[in-house]
Amino acid sequence: MPNRDLDQAELEQLVQDLAAQPERWRHLVQHRPDERTYAELHRDEHVAIWLICWMDDHDTGYHDHDLSAGAVAVTAGAVREERLVLGGAPAARTANAGEAFTFGPADIHRVSHVGGEPAVTIHAYSPPLWRMGAYEVLPTGELRRWSLSYAEELRPIGA
Amino acid sequence: MPVTDVHQHLWPESLLRLLAARPRAPRLVRHAAGWELELAGEAPSPFDARAHDPARRAALAADDGIGRVLVAPSAPLGIEALPAHEAQPLLDAFHQGVVELGAPFAPWGSVALAAAEPAAVDALLDLGAAGLCLPGAALTSPAKLDAIGPVLERLAQRRAPLFVHPGPAPAGDSALPAWWPPMTSYVAEMQAAWLAWAEWGRPAHPTLKVVWAMLAGCAPLQAERLAARGGPASAVHDDHAWFDVSSYGPHAVDAMLRVVGVDRLVLGSDRPIADPPALASLGPAVRHAVSKANPARLFDAQP
Repeated sequence: MPNRDLDQAELEQLVQDLAAQPERWRHLVQHRPDERTYAELHRDEHVAIWLICWMDDHDTGYHDHDLSAGAVAVTAGAVREERLVLGGAPAARTANAGEAFTFGPADIHRVSHVGGEPAVTIHAYSPPLWRMGAYEVLPTGELRRWSLSYAEELRPIGA
Repeated sequence: MPVTDVHQHLWPESLLRLLAARPRAPRLVRHAAGWELELAGEAPSPFDARAHDPARRAALAADDGIGRVLVAPSAPLGIEALPAHEAQPLLDAFHQGVVELGAPFAPWGSVALAAAEPAAVDALLDLGAAGLCLPGAALTSPAKLDAIGPVLERLAQRRAPLFVHPGPAPAGDSALPAWWPPMTSYVAEMQAAWLAWAEWGRPAHPTLKVVWAMLAGCAPLQAERLAARGGPASAVHDDHAWFDVSSYGPHAVDAMLRVVGVDRLVLGSDRPIADPPALASLGPAVRHAVSKANPARLFDAQP
């Protein structure tokens, strides 16, 4: 890997390469009905790579990644990515096993399990995720951003 | 595993008595105004035995929701560097005294550096020590690391951690304020120990778990400078290293979290010198990781 932060295309290549090497992460796959599970596969100055396991109803809620770009490769099952659209339905897509998607630091999205077969995803963030924004849409339509440590997403209480 | 504070100090009664009976520093001396602690490198400081009252300290821990308190030897006293026949009775009094206190307290073990042998590690762990505590200065050169190498090997074999804590300050101007050594020599010593570990210690002991007091003087925050000067900057990413947050707060802890990741941080308070850091602004997940999940991983327990 280059000795610098990676762009979205490089991150996508990275997660797809790892997805094609299950011997590097298969032993960490662990599904829990109540919570996603998380394992950090790699961390250096420029990139952090996580394995996340999903079951029915698992949903990140809307969030951003503050300073980090990212990519997600799906290795089993499927997840839905939704981009927040003001005054309209979210822009949604489904990523199935073998597919990947990317996001920039400024993108606001949520990722959820589509249901059925448990999903396994590989996430790469560059630079490593540090702070995040979590979004709350009030009944009045106002949007609130909560500043969070990345631990709230990747090391939540109970996981 | 309960909420764990990996870094407190508590001098059991038996150690206080031995320190009060010593003819030279480190010792406790009674003056008209009360007890004073005399150390070789620092100005005499008032000593309040109430701060070491086990019942009071257990109550303080309970108030903070802390269920397990690891008690470190007070390495700045310099006991480890005394001749072995002077050091050993003091260390024995410390270990035995803390073990006898029972829950929530458990000691970090300590050895007289002049006579440190692997068998001492076994004896300490069998007594109930959480691991071994060494002053940072014991690790700051290849020769020192070689000398303590067999002890560290035994520690790694037993899967018990090393706790690195600042040692005695060099003799200085007694007019300096009490905060001077903690902000100068302690920080420099922890940084030097971390750098020496990055360069020589870790390659020699690849699986030894190491807990660094006081965020290792924030040494990992120097990683970019270390890389610029051709040093082993990748040592920042070490799955067998943990950093206690003692005496720091949300700014330094968040900066360290950015560099080493939240998994590497553990709660240490340095009580009674300091109170547990206020980390609420970093969020409940950071608090949970630092005080519960990470100590559980450090000690191979269930979170």
